[in-house]
Amino acid sequence: MAKSSKASKAKKAPAASAKPSAASDPAIAATPTLVSSQAQGKTDSGQPERPGPVLDWMNKTRQWGVRVKPGKAGLRLGDLNVGIYGEIPMQWSDQSRNPRGAVPRKGMPPVGYAVREKVGMWADSAADLYEEAIQRRWAPATDVPWTTIDKLPDDIERAICQVCTELSQFANVEIETIAGWQHQMVYGYHEVKQYLATASFDAAKHYECFRKRALANGGGLGVEGPGQVNRMILESSGGWSATVAYLVLVRAVFTMTILKYLARHAYNDAERFIYEHVLQDKARLLTYGLDHLHFAVAHDDEQPAVLATVLAIGDRVLTRDLRDPALREALAIIFGRGIRGARRQGMETYEEMMADFMQTHLGYCRWLGIARAPAEAMPPPLDRHAGASVAA
Amino acid sequence: MAKFPSVRWFDAVREVFNGDESVQGGGGGYCNCVAGMKVGKDIFVLTFEGVECTDAVKADDAALDDVDFYLDMAPADWREMISNIHSNNGADRHHTLNTLDLEREDGLATSHHGDQYREDLFFRYNQTFQYFFNASARIRTDF
Repeated sequence: MAKSSKASKAKKAPAASAKPSAASDPAIAATPTLVSSQAQGKTDSGQPERPGPVLDWMNKTRQWGVRVKPGKAGLRLGDLNVGIYGEIPMQWSDQSRNPRGAVPRKGMPPVGYAVREKVGMWADSAADLYEEAIQRRWAPATDVPWTTIDKLPDDIERAICQVCTELSQFANVEIETIAGWQHQMVYGYHEVKQYLATASFDAAKHYECFRKRALANGGGLGVEGPGQVNRMILESSGGWSATVAYLVLVRAVFTMTILKYLARHAYNDAERFIYEHVLQDKARLLTYGLDHLHFAVAHDDEQPAVLATVLAIGDRVLTRDLRDPALREALAIIFGRGIRGARRQGMETYEEMMADFMQTHLGYCRWLGIARAPAEAMPPPLDRHAGASVAA
Repeated sequence: MAKFPSVRWFDAVREVFNGDESVQGGGGGYCNCVAGMKVGKDIFVLTFEGVECTDAVKADDAALDDVDFYLDMAPADWREMISNIHSNNGADRHHTLNTLDLEREDGLATSHHGDQYREDLFFRYNQTFQYFFNASARIRTDF
């Protein structure tokens, strides 16, 4: 009895170390009817023939017997980096879509990835950020307390709608930028590609909730933003790291600063929820960006100087956007609780916000070792904001 | 009734926070960090693991070297924040951690190590910390 049970087990699950093939594997040899029927082109029942199993893929693996156990937080992406699956080289020469650790197939045509070096995209935190994005997700449709939005004075509603219009544009640029680079990144650093997929999804959610807020209270979308920075980010083609400098050090820090001030001046719980939750999502993108640039700077001596030049160019583009009055005036109206309060209290808060933005931006640059021009050498109005941040 | 600041107070808040599943979704959830709370000269260290705040201990100034970040306010400011949370069943917009951070020249969250990656955990997990302090509305606090 025991003998027969053992034999049946062997047929169902050939040992991993065996070389299962039609000729040598007893489990395959035990299907004589199928093999003989195939020789005739038909099965006994008259059905069209099915090809016999080849199974020559079954013993092809770079490492077998891996048994990763879930920890307190479950089975996380980063936990899988064991044995050869945790080998993350500085260069990824494979030009195919071969998942890291799999056996490459011969004769695969190259895909033509542009970002193939670890220094060009890596961040140690990527796997954790991926898990965090999934675990800390929220749904604009149901989690935002939309019913807390009451009728607002016309000037304030118009200002909120204008800000939401521009913030939804920012979010759209983020989606397009990430998507535009993601397919250019090799598969060897899948943690980064997976995290960026969540960042793209986050941005889609942000686009959604700012649009929803604009259309939820008797208003509508306002005027399209000037979009010079949008274009700069989207058209940045010198490498992912330079794009990250624009997308994170400039745009994300700017957006996060706006969100902090909007949360402080929210008119209802729905707005507060949106601003605070988008801020939290953005903080993950900021972490990825800082972590990546930190890695890039540490592994490439040229990188600090390159990023300094990139950001100096970015300063001039940002100033052109900042000269457009729409976002500035709308924010001042929100902070000043109306047009009347915008002139003094609102603009004072706006100036304070911009000084905060520059202080945070310059602080991150310092931490990364990226040299920036002194405040007085920056184009206006950044010189004023940077000067105020230094004075603070 | 628990006196603020004390380990007993933080433990009472932990109990409410850890038992409330509603704060584990909708933007809350897994949070892994060690956060310091500086109440004047009193220092407490809170450990967040997964969806829970697993530990609260009283510590000395040297412990602030090891935390990811710490929140630093004068006792009167802590008292005002906690009283506001109690009165409104959650912080109003003038007393959220975000607003308190903006209103301080050096921010509310800071660190000794200056590691931006660790300091920024304050923003990455901001809703969790807000939910944690909002949970204090459900205990009786004595100052």
